[in-house]
Amino acid sequence: MKNPYKTLGLSEGASKEEIRKAYKRLVKKYHPDKYANNPLSDLAEEKLEEINKAYNYLMKNKGYNQGQDNGYQSSSNRYSNNSYHTYAQIRELIKRGNIVQAEKILDSISQKDAEWFFLKGVISLQKGWYDQGYQQINRAVAMDPSNSEYRSTLNNLHQQNAAYRASGRNRGYGGADACDLCTCLCCSDCCCECLGGDLIACC
Amino acid sequence: MFGYVVPYKDELKVREYKLFRAFYCGLCKTLGKSSNQLTRFGLNYDFTFLALLLTALDEDEPQINHEGCIVNPFKKNPLIKKNQHLEYAADLNVIFVFLKLLDNWHDEHSFKSLLSMPVYYFASRGKREKYATSFHFFEKSLKKLEDLETAGNDIVDKSADVFARIMSVIFTPAYITEKKCRRILASLGYNLGRWIYILDAFSDLEDDINYKNYNPLLLQYNYSEAEGLQEFKDRIKENIVFTLTYSLNNLAKAYQLLTVHRYNNILENIIYLGLYRVMEKKLNNGGREIEKSIQDTGTE
Repeated sequence: MKNPYKTLGLSEGASKEEIRKAYKRLVKKYHPDKYANNPLSDLAEEKLEEINKAYNYLMKNKGYNQGQDNGYQSSSNRYSNNSYHTYAQIRELIKRGNIVQAEKILDSISQKDAEWFFLKGVISLQKGWYDQGYQQINRAVAMDPSNSEYRSTLNNLHQQNAAYRASGRNRGYGGADACDLCTCLCCSDCCCECLGGDLIACC
Repeated sequence: MFGYVVPYKDELKVREYKLFRAFYCGLCKTLGKSSNQLTRFGLNYDFTFLALLLTALDEDEPQINHEGCIVNPFKKNPLIKKNQHLEYAADLNVIFVFLKLLDNWHDEHSFKSLLSMPVYYFASRGKREKYATSFHFFEKSLKKLEDLETAGNDIVDKSADVFARIMSVIFTPAYITEKKCRRILASLGYNLGRWIYILDAFSDLEDDINYKNYNPLLLQYNYSEAEGLQEFKDRIKENIVFTLTYSLNNLAKAYQLLTVHRYNNILENIIYLGLYRVMEKKLNNGGREIEKSIQDTGTE
């Protein structure tokens, strides 16, 4: 095992609070949602395992027993409930990373329904053809707006882009960052409530 | 097509900026030493980024020298001493400029490129042998791009894919043998290549319309003269912004998986701020002024 402090990006002897903070930050960074449809997702998962191990090790050896034992568990049945045999087969191939074969079988299907465009979109994204992938998934959503898997995949794409932009804004030395924005919103909400209105309905 | 990969200077510490310059100067000196002095004019920031990234992955600290330069011989500036990574980046820079000139000559019969060709022809001769497999792959890829153009390919991803694979090869030098690291670098290069190709296609729209040149975006989104350039750009922008940002996002994702020993701040500055700013500028005014010029980035 690598030096657990190094794995978490900390210097030797960091406090419990620092360890926890670093751990949370890293889990967020390498979370499978952030690597959805990315051909390197297996490496991200490996990294996450390393981080979990390092965290658990530090927590145990420092006598912090209340540490989370299995911070994150991967969801492996994302592609499982499909009635079509061929589509199920294609999903299986995609899951195993055999994109070339999956695309070959998909292309041999002549009837193109929403599921077809969805799978084609997923394949395109993994191949690195994001423009095609984006349009195909958009099309799947338009053809079957009630399907939550299609919609959540599309949302995930937008979220990933938003996250990339946000990490750019939060870098550097000046300007407002996401935390400032939250504080701002909370303050505004309080002010509104004092005056009898409400900016954020739920709190 | 090059010179897009620059840091966002305003958000760098002076020390970091100096280090980036030291890489730029180091690469320039390496070019002069290992090829010929004239190739130094073909130096560009994309290969500086490559040298910086590869050095960051090396466990050994690079050496820094203080030397003068032809431009300013009496002022001694820090520069990275020639090492394996600088040499690799310099070699590939020469090969690439040579291929690009060849391509320009084929495409546009530009005499400017014909005139500068001998410099690169002789400089790249040895390197073409040294990197024979890569060189043949580049040649084949450029031929493929040409074929796609002749065939009137109307899927931008398809052309971008060919170019992206070239970058993917450039970013995986043979001396890096660790499998995982190669996979990550290949993905990083691929996404960078895609981003450069599509951004370049978008910023060339106006010229390509005027000179009736091939541009996959015009075909994919059915440009017609009746619509006009501005409306066309507005219509396709959402898709372009998505695909470019997503490429940068995946580039960043690949970067995060690397074990970086130093320069994290500069590299992240380039990946999260520099590239994004260049993209915004190009998308909004198609400005050419940023190419090759680090002085302009970020001073508004």
